[in-house]
Amino acid sequence: MKKLNSIYIIDDDPITVFGLRKMLKTITICKDITDFENGRLALEALKRRIELKIPCPEVIFLDINMPIMDGWEFLEELVSLNIPEKIIINVITSSIDPIDYKRWNDFRLNCWHHLNFKNKPLYKLEVTDLSRVHLAS
Amino acid sequence: MKTTETLPHQYVLKQLPKATALVNKNSLLVDASDSWYAIFDDLLGPGKDIIHWYQNHLEIDKTKLKKYIGTSSGESFRHKKLVNGQEQWYESTCTPWFDEDENLQGTIIQTDDISQLMEKEQELDRITSLLKTKSEVAKVGSWEYNLETEELHWCEETQKIHEVQPDYQPTVAEAIAFYKQGYSRNRISMLFHKALENGTPFHEKLTIITKDGKERWVAAAGKAIRKNGEIHKIFGTFQDIDEQMMADKKIRESEQLLTTLIDNLPINVFVKDKDSRKILVNKAECDYLGTTPDTLLGKTDFDLYDEAVAQISRDEDLEVMRTQEPMIGKETINVRRDGTATNFLTSKIPLLDLKGKAYGLIGMSMDITHIKQKEDQLHNLINVTAIQNKKLINFAHIVSHNLRSHTANFSMLLDFLIRESDEKEKQRIMKMLFHASDNLLDTLENLNEVVDISTNVNLDKKSLNLSEHITKMQQNLSAFLEENQVEFENHVPDDMMVSSVPAYLESILLNLVTNAVKYQQPERRPVVELRAIKQDKNIMFSVTDNGLGIDLNRYGDKIFGMYKTFHNHKDARGLGLYIIKNQIEAMDGSISVSSEVGKGSTFNVYFNEETE
Repeated sequence: MKKLNSIYIIDDDPITVFGLRKMLKTITICKDITDFENGRLALEALKRRIELKIPCPEVIFLDINMPIMDGWEFLEELVSLNIPEKIIINVITSSIDPIDYKRWNDFRLNCWHHLNFKNKPLYKLEVTDLSRVHLAS
Repeated sequence: MKTTETLPHQYVLKQLPKATALVNKNSLLVDASDSWYAIFDDLLGPGKDIIHWYQNHLEIDKTKLKKYIGTSSGESFRHKKLVNGQEQWYESTCTPWFDEDENLQGTIIQTDDISQLMEKEQELDRITSLLKTKSEVAKVGSWEYNLETEELHWCEETQKIHEVQPDYQPTVAEAIAFYKQGYSRNRISMLFHKALENGTPFHEKLTIITKDGKERWVAAAGKAIRKNGEIHKIFGTFQDIDEQMMADKKIRESEQLLTTLIDNLPINVFVKDKDSRKILVNKAECDYLGTTPDTLLGKTDFDLYDEAVAQISRDEDLEVMRTQEPMIGKETINVRRDGTATNFLTSKIPLLDLKGKAYGLIGMSMDITHIKQKEDQLHNLINVTAIQNKKLINFAHIVSHNLRSHTANFSMLLDFLIRESDEKEKQRIMKMLFHASDNLLDTLENLNEVVDISTNVNLDKKSLNLSEHITKMQQNLSAFLEENQVEFENHVPDDMMVSSVPAYLESILLNLVTNAVKYQQPERRPVVELRAIKQDKNIMFSVTDNGLGIDLNRYGDKIFGMYKTFHNHKDARGLGLYIIKNQIEAMDGSISVSSEVGKGSTFNVYFNEETE
């Protein structure tokens, strides 16, 4: 079991959040798993953490289609924050639009953080999803 | 004859001014005048054969000479002598010489200097032959009618034109009979008669039928020749002008063909000189300008069209003439004086003179207004299709994404359920599954609503009273409006009518007003203003609120998108604006928005009031 300090789940669909939490339980011990309905809320929480000098979450699960601020907008804001730690970001989407994949790849190449791409449905998470870079699965 | 007898008249003979010699029956010279000796050599003296004297002369047939001397006929012959290299021509005439008793004594030879005559004869020969050659080359023959003898004479060329033998000479009646029956024959008879009567000259183009039966155009001319005031001859020329007439006829036929062709082309054709004045126009060009060729000739485009258009045309003309390069198939627009515009496909080709300099141009314009209109329609159609296509693709993505996300949830939850042993957890997953199922149904209903608008081709638009529908909406939303303490400012005139599908108008009012209230500022009482203004072809209906406002720089292109929500509100579905935009566009209208964050938003709906 991998030990982690903090994980963010950013998704407006409660079922997916439920699923992710359930799957995480089996592979990690983490006391601080927080979920956000949209990118804006997650970003505000992240900024507060930085202000209070609390370390950033090691892993983020990020949905693309969300109201107010979607996944891509969140990624753009995140990049501009210049966080020194490398965060593992799992982009999770039900979209099979090639444009979304291409956009993910562009971010991956120009981003300091580790970016993974995961298509729904998800059945299981691996420990590797929490520790190192994976290409699209 | 023995020896030379002394004749009493001998001395007279010697002095005769005309060169004369006496020769006896034995061809011996008896005596001659001094003038005769001057022509011939007198060294020999009388008593010698006459042949000796002619020995220095050329071109003499000596047997002829012998024969002539001693015969009683007055024959003459010609001979010549070279004097200082010059030819001197003579003619000797032999006449018999009788004594008092009519006995033949010999021959009297008289010799004349005929050099001048010979020159004249040669000149005549030359002129005659020149005339003949001339008449042959020019195919101009001649004829002559003598009133006294009533004889008609045709020259060789005239005979040739009639295709008769060289020895054929006709009577006047026969000559006239060669003319083609009808106009030609009647005409020549009359003209010839007039010339005989009054001496009226004539020159006429007529047809004859030759002896071989060929029809041929001729130019016949005649002129009376008077002697002592009396007409005594008619002289005339006769010319074969068949080729010329045929060529003329061909040219006229070609011209006719060309004119027919140009006039009936469904293309405007014109020829301009180097000052761009029209020097030829066809029927299509005249019809287009609604006038006749006479009024168009000499005119420039400045006389006929709008000045700007005329200047463009003139510049084209100058360019074509300067470069000598044709302008082919250029799309142009002509605006006539009455303001009507026509699209043309115009070509201009430079006209070059023999030195290769442009002196004008030929222009051809095809009216393509109809084609242009069709093209524009086609473009519009393509644009509409492209937009529709884009919408469809967008819609397909939305559908696939939304349905996929639900099915992905099902799949995930079912996978959990199978592997779960804890009953309590199983119950929880089952609850989730029901929730997912409800979500899927909602999504399907939403999509159905959108598909309904897009497939509703035959829209039943009606003229509806806007105020009445606003009141109805207020009644339907009364609980919601009261709860939110909404203040209405309705500026819509009572008699304002809009043309809309009734259900769509209800949906538009409902969605815009609920949105205005839903996204209110927390510490402010919501105020909703409604306005309607009649515009050119539209009625603009606007809904203004004092709510949160939207950052349009950020969300401008997404505000009417499907499943786009911009405020954290529990009831936000991201569907209302997407649906009413589709409904409004389905009715050929449009919707726009202006907004400021923290102050409020205004949505403008344009109802298309044009009747189709």
